[in-house]
Amino acid sequence: MSEGAEAAPRPKPEHPILWVARPMITAARQFGKSLVRPSTIVYPYERLEDPRFRGEVDVASGKPIGVGEVWDNYRGVHALNVSTCISCNLCAFSCPDLCIDMVTVPGGDPKHPKKCPQIDYGKCSYCGFCSDACPEGCLTMTTRYELSVSKRSDMVYSPQKLHEIFARKLPMNPIRLERPANEDSILLDPPICIGCNACARDCPTGCITMLDIPKATAKPGEKLPKRIWKEPVVNDSDCVRCGTCISVCPKECLFWGTRR
Amino acid sequence: MAVTTLFDVADDISRAILITVLGHLPAPLSTWLATPDLVLGIAVLVFCALLLAAGMINTILLIWFERKLLGRFMDRRGAMHVGFAGLLQNFADGLKLFRKNTFKPEQADTLGFFSGPTAYMVASIVMFAILPISSGWSDGSLPLSLLLALAVFSFAPLFIFVSAWSSNNKYSLMGGMRSAAQMVAYEVPLLLAVVAVVIAAGSFNLNTIVYEQQNYWFWGPLLLALIVFVAAMLAEMERIPFDLPEAEAELVEGWNTEYGGMLFAFFMLADYVRALVGSFLVVLLFLGGWTMPTWVPSPLTTFPLSGIFWFMVKTYLVFLLFVWVRAALPRVRTDQLLRVGWMRMIPLSLLSVVLAVGLVLVRCLPVFGCLPTVGS
Repeated sequence: MSEGAEAAPRPKPEHPILWVARPMITAARQFGKSLVRPSTIVYPYERLEDPRFRGEVDVASGKPIGVGEVWDNYRGVHALNVSTCISCNLCAFSCPDLCIDMVTVPGGDPKHPKKCPQIDYGKCSYCGFCSDACPEGCLTMTTRYELSVSKRSDMVYSPQKLHEIFARKLPMNPIRLERPANEDSILLDPPICIGCNACARDCPTGCITMLDIPKATAKPGEKLPKRIWKEPVVNDSDCVRCGTCISVCPKECLFWGTRR
Repeated sequence: MAVTTLFDVADDISRAILITVLGHLPAPLSTWLATPDLVLGIAVLVFCALLLAAGMINTILLIWFERKLLGRFMDRRGAMHVGFAGLLQNFADGLKLFRKNTFKPEQADTLGFFSGPTAYMVASIVMFAILPISSGWSDGSLPLSLLLALAVFSFAPLFIFVSAWSSNNKYSLMGGMRSAAQMVAYEVPLLLAVVAVVIAAGSFNLNTIVYEQQNYWFWGPLLLALIVFVAAMLAEMERIPFDLPEAEAELVEGWNTEYGGMLFAFFMLADYVRALVGSFLVVLLFLGGWTMPTWVPSPLTTFPLSGIFWFMVKTYLVFLLFVWVRAALPRVRTDQLLRVGWMRMIPLSLLSVVLAVGLVLVRCLPVFGCLPTVGS
């Protein structure tokens, strides 16, 4: 033990009257302070968004920041623009809570109905992966945080309801992931392909076209074989990498890979 | 007829009832019934009903008052949602408790389990009949009303113990035993502090004690007795810092652990009835009851029911003191409680008795002038 570790002299115990008097005075001081206005805000009637409670002021304009909203990167309820949704299923695929179902919405082709996300907020953890994954930017997260309902079934938000939230032009969460530069592409194993057209039919972006392979790729003057078949050709710049084509391919001849 | 007391209100109501009812009766019967005795009898009944209703409503308002005050002491707001500023919250809570099922543990003693809360409630409500809260209070003119009040007030721990023991729960039993131990420790200084007041006033009659305070209130000359009385009263009411019988951190809910529904509501309500009555006692014994100092302008003291109004104002201020103590102080340990009770409070209360005797002998109070003739 070093000399510095010596115990400090014990403070002189205060008079027992102070044991009562000191907290009484403290409580009275607190009472006087909160008599005018306690620290708590009366939530349903007052909100933190109120500039009185934000306390943040934009230096340039002198106005309070974000009146009527919470912090900009707050992840609240989703907003879905149904008209730009391409039914790529990426939101449902990326959801870690499996709270997104793709449900049919009216207005699609009767053979290939348009499917948009329906979100169950009873399961949602507000991680924001779905809006990060959305290639078209039609599924975003707003800063709306009041979601209390009286029935559990009311927690499931249909695409139409999400579109109403979108139509209200609530402030959106501006933070978005950027797509990586060198994404894998859809590659084809030509000998297996039977040219069934399923991938091109189901591609949400229409970036797959079926080409008559010998004709399309033949050099001028080359002799064409007798048999002509079709093969999918993927336009990488339009592809959103949703993988729908891979999952619908009956022969499993599409796969992820780096295009040379 | 000037309406000065609650009994005048009851008298007016009974006259109105009789006039309405007798108007529909045939002539010989109505003239035979229209007697002052019948008016008085109905007035007494109406008065009792008014008193009970006013006492219960005040008790529930007292809970609201405490919740709001405690909220402010803790930098928050308390109940806000039901009614104006949460005024109806406790009525809603009471309704909820009223609707709940009343059950008893399998091994509990049925008679004690159900009669304990009821008797506790009754013993607390009876206090309203004993304490005068305005001039012209006929019930308060018993010659020994103060003694009766204190006897009834210290009756309640018995029923706490009965209900705790018959709950057949170790936490309940420990709470009940602590309650009994606490009563033994604090009954003596409480009574000795009252003895100081009785010596100064020269009477056990609460009306007389109040009228003796018309020139000066006893809190000044008998400050020591007031402090002892308030501290002992806190222990009697089992409020923080002396709420050992229902120490939530140690015993689950103390002696009412096994109670739910309306029986729990009985305990809760009776606790606050006791708090209200304790505040009444402090006001009666030390703060001049319903009287006001002479320098207060007379329009403030002569309006209808002014006595009750000022009495209630004082009562709520005393209760504010109790809430302040509750907000500031932590719960004491059992040994601390008993040590303070036996080794500090009893000498202090004896000292206050000696002080009161000295003041009466000298016939001159240092703060408020001369004491009126005592005992004559």
